[in-house]
Amino acid sequence: MKLNLEIRPILSALLRSKTGAILVALQVAISLAILTNAVYIVQLRMEVVARPSGVAEENDLFSINISNRKVADHAEQIATQKQEEATIRGVSGVQGVTRVSQTPLSWSGSTTGVSLDRKQAATSANVSMYIASESVMKLWGLKLADGRDFNQGEFREIDTSTSKEFPNVVIITKALAEKLFPGQASVVGKTIYFGTGDDAYESRVIGVLERLQTHAAQIGAKGEISVVLPIRMSNDPYSKYSVRAEPGQRERVMKDVEMALRKASATPIIVNLRSFQEDRSRRYRADNGLAWMLIAVCVLLLLVTASGIVGISSLWVTQRRKHIGVRRALGARKIDVLRYFVTENFMITTFGIACGLALAIGLNQLLVSKLELTKLPAAYLLGGSVIFWILGIIAVVGPAARAASISPATATRST
Amino acid sequence: MFRYYFLLGIRSLRRNPALTALMVLTLAVGVAASISTLTILHVMSGDPIPHKSNRLFTPVMDNGPLKGYTPDDKPNDTQMSYRDVMNHLPAKIGERRAAMYGILMAIEPARKDLPAIEPEGAAVTKDFFAMFDTPFLYGQGWTENDDAKAADVVVLGKKMADKLYGNTNPVGQYLTMIGHQFKIVGVLDTWEPSPRFYRNATFGVQEDFFIPLASAIRHEITHAGGMGCTGDTAPGWQGRLDSECTWLSFWFELKSESQRPELQSYLDNYASEQRKLGRYMRQAKNKLFNVMEWLEESKVVGNDNKLSAWLAFGFLLLCLVNTVGLLLAKFSVRASEVGVRRALGASRKEIFNQFLIESSVIGLAGGVAGLLLAFGALALIANQSKQLTVVAHMDWQMLSITFVMSVTAAILAGLFPTWRACQVTPAIQLKSQ
Repeated sequence: MKLNLEIRPILSALLRSKTGAILVALQVAISLAILTNAVYIVQLRMEVVARPSGVAEENDLFSINISNRKVADHAEQIATQKQEEATIRGVSGVQGVTRVSQTPLSWSGSTTGVSLDRKQAATSANVSMYIASESVMKLWGLKLADGRDFNQGEFREIDTSTSKEFPNVVIITKALAEKLFPGQASVVGKTIYFGTGDDAYESRVIGVLERLQTHAAQIGAKGEISVVLPIRMSNDPYSKYSVRAEPGQRERVMKDVEMALRKASATPIIVNLRSFQEDRSRRYRADNGLAWMLIAVCVLLLLVTASGIVGISSLWVTQRRKHIGVRRALGARKIDVLRYFVTENFMITTFGIACGLALAIGLNQLLVSKLELTKLPAAYLLGGSVIFWILGIIAVVGPAARAASISPATATRST
Repeated sequence: MFRYYFLLGIRSLRRNPALTALMVLTLAVGVAASISTLTILHVMSGDPIPHKSNRLFTPVMDNGPLKGYTPDDKPNDTQMSYRDVMNHLPAKIGERRAAMYGILMAIEPARKDLPAIEPEGAAVTKDFFAMFDTPFLYGQGWTENDDAKAADVVVLGKKMADKLYGNTNPVGQYLTMIGHQFKIVGVLDTWEPSPRFYRNATFGVQEDFFIPLASAIRHEITHAGGMGCTGDTAPGWQGRLDSECTWLSFWFELKSESQRPELQSYLDNYASEQRKLGRYMRQAKNKLFNVMEWLEESKVVGNDNKLSAWLAFGFLLLCLVNTVGLLLAKFSVRASEVGVRRALGASRKEIFNQFLIESSVIGLAGGVAGLLLAFGALALIANQSKQLTVVAHMDWQMLSITFVMSVTAAILAGLFPTWRACQVTPAIQLKSQ
């Protein structure tokens, strides 16, 4: 009841000296607009970074790239590959190794178009191609949602320099299944084509993976549109192997594997090893960087705004020493003075928040139109408002307490 | 008087130290944020080859199949097929033409203490060096004859030459690359166009060596980078060369910018001639980009960088509003001082000058602190990756902008409080004393 009575005199006092109030409200408005949008962007990036790859126990995995291959014939190349696999497998602490064309999140790999019908004009989806010489399902701990893994007889050896052969079985991800056959209960046994037209390669889906991120791990459903093909290829100047080490042994195993490979090769070879962790952090470096920068900006925004409120409130307390003294002499209690300042600040902050909400929506629209951002959810606006209400009250308590402690006698006597 | 007011300004920093420190700090943080993001944008959107960036052109033509094409579709790739490269190279249009693609090649150093390495290089045609004005430390590029014979010659980048041969001149020596002997004909001096605009535009990446395109093709050295394939491709290396797969970059150098329409009509003619051979059936627009247009097209300055810069400026705005409020607080407690000075004969203008100079002192302090903070922030950013190291460096231009910006901002912020301070009526002030 008493609070209601106070609003009117506060308002008229405010309207007589608007400048300070406007400055505080403006600060709250700008901060709120930036903060809500920044926090929203941070949230979006964090969601992107936290997406699972589908691979189990990523930290035990690493990949090896071997190059400096002199061009040899198909049989010789295949033999070298198998020899290298054997060398890697021979290192203690290695749980499994497979030759693969690419690994998830590594940013290096290839895509191809798939379709449902040879007569189709354009392909239906662009898929990330995992070409593996042995089961990656076991190596990577992928989960099957439907169907089965390749059996041993389905792995082919193909000489791509002369042959256009292609495997006739394929494992696809759930994301791809949903894109190609929306709403169908099971897609096992369905046929898909790589490419379109008469020379498109026909493949039968034998398994559906719960999830396997692509080499680029794009944002949205695109990031899980992958296929696994059971091939061992020659005529590729690069050899890539994916290796799983025993838990906790990865660092040591990586060193030992590199040494073993160098020792086993008659000619000097170029070997690059990289852990899954490294690929992951490289993939998301920009996202993490932006998120941390925005968090830093948000903290600074809050500090600057709080300092502004403290500054202006202190100014008012100094300016109104006499008025406060008179009010106190006329019987106002300390709590009344305190409440006066807190209420006044609350009104200003509320006004600032109202302007800030409009500004935040405006800023968001700008970001949506210029920088491909999505619309700001209302929860962020609400959360932002609450934060600034609380911030305003915390910031004003100090100066208000100082105002309340002014004794009537000294305030009215001097100056 | 200026000096006196300036000293007064410095002295008054000590009055109300908490408030002043807060102002300086706020200003510094705002300035640092905008300077560091601005520096990055500035470096990123710089012209890598200013004296001829408007005479260098790269074409983007759509050689995709007609099947499944709708006229609004973008080309599948901005690169060029080997067939087109071979057709454009001997064309008489423009002053120079150069084709290139990125390669990785194993190098076995002659020095036994160095392991085999696989640096990134480029397969280019001979005009590459003259076209992009690469500075030579030793030797020179190769000849037309070397291109024609697909000779095994190599031009080394400075870093690679330093690593392999130290400070000596290696021109004339042979280098073992993928098991073949390549004769070193030249060594580049430091050449780091930022971004590397002529291939896929990236920052902080330079080629370690260059070999003739024809030689790379002869050794069947595959591309390091993207390849876009449409339509059917025969197996093997020859299949790739004959295909419509796009994996090379191509640049034209013109004598002057005014030749652009000529080049455009050359491309249009070329496309319609190829159409007679059954290619370029999409009849898409043949596009031409000069260096800066190309950087814009390839989105070298990412959305994240723009976002950061915008946010930083929003933040600076907040800091300014904050400074206005704090200055107001700082000045308004000095009404009596103003009253006395006015009564003693100081004009409004004098008061105005004094307070404005005081604001400038705060601005200057904020500028110095902001500069230090910006250095710190940029060092932190540069630490993140090699690519960012190149981008996040402060130059003198940005340094002077920092000061100007900070002081201007502080003066602007000081204008209103100063004006308010001048409104003091001496009589009323003195009476109330």
